[in-house]
Amino acid sequence: MRVLCCLDGTNVEQVNKATEMLSTSQPLTIGLIYVTDTGPRHDIEHLRERFLRPPGPPPPREEEMRQAEKASAQDILDEGLHHFPGAEALQRQGRPEREIVNTAAEWQADLVVICSRAEYGGRHAIGPKSVGHVARFVVDHAPCPVLLVRPLAREQFPISR
Amino acid sequence: MFQYFPIPELTRTLLTSLVGVLTLIGIMTRPFRWNEAKIAIGGAGVLLLLGLISPADAFSTLVRDWNTFLFFLGMMALSALAEAAGLFDWLAVQAARLAGKSAARLFLNVFLLGSLISMILSNDATALILTPIVYVLVTKLRLPVLPYLFACTFIADTASFLLPVSNPINIIIISRFPLDLWTFVRLLFLPSLVVIGINIGVFFLLYRKQLKGTFDIGRLPSAEQAVKHQAYFRYTCCVVALVALAYVIASAIQLPLSLVALSGAVLLLIGALFWKQTSLRQTAKRISWSIFGFIAGMFIVVRAIEDTGLTSMFGNWLIHLSGGTSFGAVMVGTAGAALGTNLINNVPMAVVMISALGGIQHASLAIQHGFIAATIFGCDLGPNLTTVGSLATVLWLLILRQRDVDVSGLDYFKVGVLVTPLMLLAGALTIWLLL
Repeated sequence: MRVLCCLDGTNVEQVNKATEMLSTSQPLTIGLIYVTDTGPRHDIEHLRERFLRPPGPPPPREEEMRQAEKASAQDILDEGLHHFPGAEALQRQGRPEREIVNTAAEWQADLVVICSRAEYGGRHAIGPKSVGHVARFVVDHAPCPVLLVRPLAREQFPISR
Repeated sequence: MFQYFPIPELTRTLLTSLVGVLTLIGIMTRPFRWNEAKIAIGGAGVLLLLGLISPADAFSTLVRDWNTFLFFLGMMALSALAEAAGLFDWLAVQAARLAGKSAARLFLNVFLLGSLISMILSNDATALILTPIVYVLVTKLRLPVLPYLFACTFIADTASFLLPVSNPINIIIISRFPLDLWTFVRLLFLPSLVVIGINIGVFFLLYRKQLKGTFDIGRLPSAEQAVKHQAYFRYTCCVVALVALAYVIASAIQLPLSLVALSGAVLLLIGALFWKQTSLRQTAKRISWSIFGFIAGMFIVVRAIEDTGLTSMFGNWLIHLSGGTSFGAVMVGTAGAALGTNLINNVPMAVVMISALGGIQHASLAIQHGFIAATIFGCDLGPNLTTVGSLATVLWLLILRQRDVDVSGLDYFKVGVLVTPLMLLAGALTIWLLL
């Protein structure tokens, strides 16, 4: 069974626990994907246009941005490989939601494991908007079953009936 | 052409208005991705060719605004040379170190650093130099990128009327309507602090969930890594501090600020050449020369329209709308400048506004100051409504969205629509109270 795990820099332990729960007779082939979002870079381009500047920051700065993205992505994937020894690391760039579903198709994933949204600390609130736009898109467009991993939130129950 | 073949005044007015309107529409929509400078120069060229403005008038218009051109040159060179020294990188690393490990404190420090840079080196430096640096920093720290990026781009404009040099738009306006430093600070410094406070408060509320975490200080580059050459870096710090002081003194005694900016840039250039940190060619490459064409074109086009009396009619209409009260002047001035700056770029809007407000001399001092301060405020803060560009850009992004192309630029628009009207209202009310 080929399982594509989506990393976001905050969720490797959650994803690890979820895959451990998958009791299957078949061996798991794990793929770890991390997508560097190119949206912010485009925003910086638009900003330069507004200030009537030619597109793209000066070459040394551009290179520095690329290096930082690459190093951060590698760091996240290395952390993933530490939890999933022998997994295949897939580093992508683009719009995360689209890269994930396209990679799932290309890599012939049988299951995509994704967390509801990146968690940067604080309480995991349940309710509307608790599933981010990337996870929502993947659930809507994935070429295979999707395991949506939500954080434990038992302490927030019962909710009003 | 029509200088040699006299034409009726009405035809001349209609032709001039047509060229002016087409130029503004061109700047708004940028057909075939033409550069704005080409469109503005094209408009000015057509007016000159048709004889709708004489070469002598066009020349005198450009000469009259020498302070604006030289300020743009000095400001861009100063920022580029300070960047070459690693000043901005060093400041960003210090901001991160001072944050401890807290993502929220780093967010606050980005706002404070952005305000400081905008205040001394203008909003261009914050938006165009600090933003990519902060992007690199938060990417390395594995923090959510967007809140910090939004913080940089918004604070660039929000903090751009702390001092006359904080935004080149201020120079365009006060070159025509001189405000002494005390009046400028009295009318705009406190409103600036108010809107900066609102900006920070609303952003903390919007991004509270993403800012709860901490970061690993070990991922932070050392301050030494940011500095490219120790001696040039120290020299740059001293020159920038001197320039900041000189700006305040020059504003106080009403000396042209462009001379301070240019002198600072020349001092930095001498240092950079001495320590071999950059070359003249590299520095020249970092300056956007097309901006000068854009401003020159706009000055000529608006001057031609001014001669037809249309801009003074617009000015009279604004005064009429204000109801002859200082409250009306501030509100109408702010709303007009902010809306206009989102329709066209803020540079042409500022040029149109100074032309329109040519007839306010007969109004009371409070109304005059109200209009001038509101124009500066609206033209400076207005772009935050559509941070990634003018309304035309946003409409284009909306069209892309309809075609199922997801564009994060729309996120800017959503935040801008939420926070900017609030800041405009609060700032305008504060200006009115201080009149």
